Amino acid sequence: MSLESIVAKVESAGRIDRDEALALYSDAPTNLLGHLAEVVRARKHPSAIVTYIIDRNVNYTNVCVARCAFCAFYRPVGSNEGYVLGFDELFKKIDETLAVGGVQILLQGGHNPDLPLEWYEDLFCAIKDRYPDFRLHALSPPELLHLSRLSQRPVPVVIERLVQAGLDSVPGGGAEILVDRVRRLLNCESKATSDEWLSVMRVVHEVGMRSTATMMYGSVETVQERVEHLYRLRELQDDTGGFTAFIAWSYQPSNTELGGPEATSVEYLRTLALSRIVLDNFDNLQASWVTQGGKVGQLSLAFGANDMGSVMIEENVVRAAGAAYCMDEVEIVRNVEDAGFIPKRRNMVYDILGDPLCRDSAVPRRTKLAVARAPGDTSIPAELSGYPARTRTGKAERAVE
Amino acid sequence: MSEDVAGVSQKILTGIRLNDEEWAELLTTRDLISLGMAADAARRRRHGDRTTFVQIVEVPVVTNATLGSLPEQAREIRLTGRPETTAMAIERVEALVSVGGGLPVTGFNLTDLFELSGRDSGRLVQVLVSLREAGLGLVGEVWAEGPLPAETAFTVLREGGMSAARLTLGESTGDEALSLIRRIASWSDAGSVCRCLAPLPRSLASPPTTGYGDLRQVALARLLVDNIESIQVDWSSYGPKLAQVALTFGADDVDAVASVGHDERGWRRSPGEEIRRNITAAGFTPMLRDGCFKAVKS
Repeated sequence: MSLESIVAKVESAGRIDRDEALALYSDAPTNLLGHLAEVVRARKHPSAIVTYIIDRNVNYTNVCVARCAFCAFYRPVGSNEGYVLGFDELFKKIDETLAVGGVQILLQGGHNPDLPLEWYEDLFCAIKDRYPDFRLHALSPPELLHLSRLSQRPVPVVIERLVQAGLDSVPGGGAEILVDRVRRLLNCESKATSDEWLSVMRVVHEVGMRSTATMMYGSVETVQERVEHLYRLRELQDDTGGFTAFIAWSYQPSNTELGGPEATSVEYLRTLALSRIVLDNFDNLQASWVTQGGKVGQLSLAFGANDMGSVMIEENVVRAAGAAYCMDEVEIVRNVEDAGFIPKRRNMVYDILGDPLCRDSAVPRRTKLAVARAPGDTSIPAELSGYPARTRTGKAERAVE
Repeated sequence: MSEDVAGVSQKILTGIRLNDEEWAELLTTRDLISLGMAADAARRRRHGDRTTFVQIVEVPVVTNATLGSLPEQAREIRLTGRPETTAMAIERVEALVSVGGGLPVTGFNLTDLFELSGRDSGRLVQVLVSLREAGLGLVGEVWAEGPLPAETAFTVLREGGMSAARLTLGESTGDEALSLIRRIASWSDAGSVCRCLAPLPRSLASPPTTGYGDLRQVALARLLVDNIESIQVDWSSYGPKLAQVALTFGADDVDAVASVGHDERGWRRSPGEEIRRNITAAGFTPMLRDGCFKAVKS
């Protein structure tokens, strides 16, 4: 197995195996990896269109019992920095999203034991009542698993109820690295093992929903484990075809329990390129400008990405871990065109919605992403009192109300 | 690699002069990866897998701030900003040399010194002689285009017995910068007085430059400028992410790495460890140098 033979295989649309992927990552010069990723990208997307979505990344709560060692966002139950967003706060965020042409929210949050399944159902129903065409891209597999455990109902039942309430699609968060040795070291095996994450996604796809897939690399995993992650995703995609896109981002170490350094930008571009080559059954790869910044985000387009991800509007999780980049629509469009591509707006399933909105209207420029709540806002939404709390702290808070 | 860019790059690598059509092909190609592959080949042919870097301490020239204790990691004391007079420049160099413990002291933009010399080349030569005698190791920066024409700048430096750390494109960006790079390639004596070419803008442009634009500029600089040994990228201005990728697109020297970091982030995230990790992860071997481009044994 020579590097030349692997290169020839990729160029002729052959499928590479784990050993070949590992050899490529270990031995191929960075620009050669970029070249191969570009070959695969151009094969899938010959029109040179680069897409992006206008949506908002909303975190409904930061209270979490999972306690992942890589997370700087969560607060334990009872923390005076913990929050749960109220329905009205979420409606306001949706109104703001609609005002700038947004089509969905990406709704994720901590594993909050004081938010029962009914809270989610009521929230989704309320959103769909008010905004029938607005899409809910919500609840990653570990959140669905958490709700299954909390409600003591099987995952398919939880998913069915949430779909009934208005869930449209599922984000691929919480995958980290789909190898249990890594998950144990990251203290995230209990929230979902590799098999559990994949099995939830299988159910999601079987009920006809689409989802994305992610990888958080650069923490404690080996390159072999990173490659294994890609193959586990590829195998599920072979079975279901339910993933619309793949997003890789680097572990952000600031303010986390795990600490350590961040993987470098060259490692990001190499990992992205390898992902494009291995995940030959994924149509779309997103650039992670939120962890890499605008410049390397744009360079992702030369290393296999065909999508600039989301305008995002709001972001809380990565910011908590030290990254605070911002790209509004104007900036995304400028970067896409500068790289020689054609920018188009899309929805979650990659239907093209049209040309950039900023071409036809004066969209206010955004230089900083919004946050879930203003600092110091510790208000507790009134509607929470209507739901039973599970923890002593939660019960006490609701009793006071 | 696209055939057009590959063919042109091969010509450059074998020393064949390009015709106008081939220049245009190189300057307008959107094939960033092919450009990067060619620039990387050119850079490796010249420097192998070695990437040099320098950790510096910056001292503003116009304040009377004392240097204090020098960080152990510092390999250059750099005067920043424009002095009010040539006498101030000389005095500040003398003061820093006296407390610098043998570290090279560098600084100043040659254009600033030219202005302070009343735009008189003869007086500028005298100023350079005085600065050299005061202990200035290298002039910090020479603009490839400005009030002092580059050819004159090179002559003045030679007559003053000085060299410059870097030739820069000043404020030029985009097509203007690429055209300037092409002109620099024709200045055969540039490399004798300028240790490296820093092809990226020295100040923030509005709108900001893009990753594609920056890397195109770095790659073209390496491919076209055969007469200057090193292509430099600035760690503090461009940040680790862009600067590291630039190493795979033709840059071989990293400037302006801080000497001290945030202690609370731990030694693995100290500037020295971070730059070494980034250079290694980009596929190169890090080599610490001092402010006068001499290798430092670790």
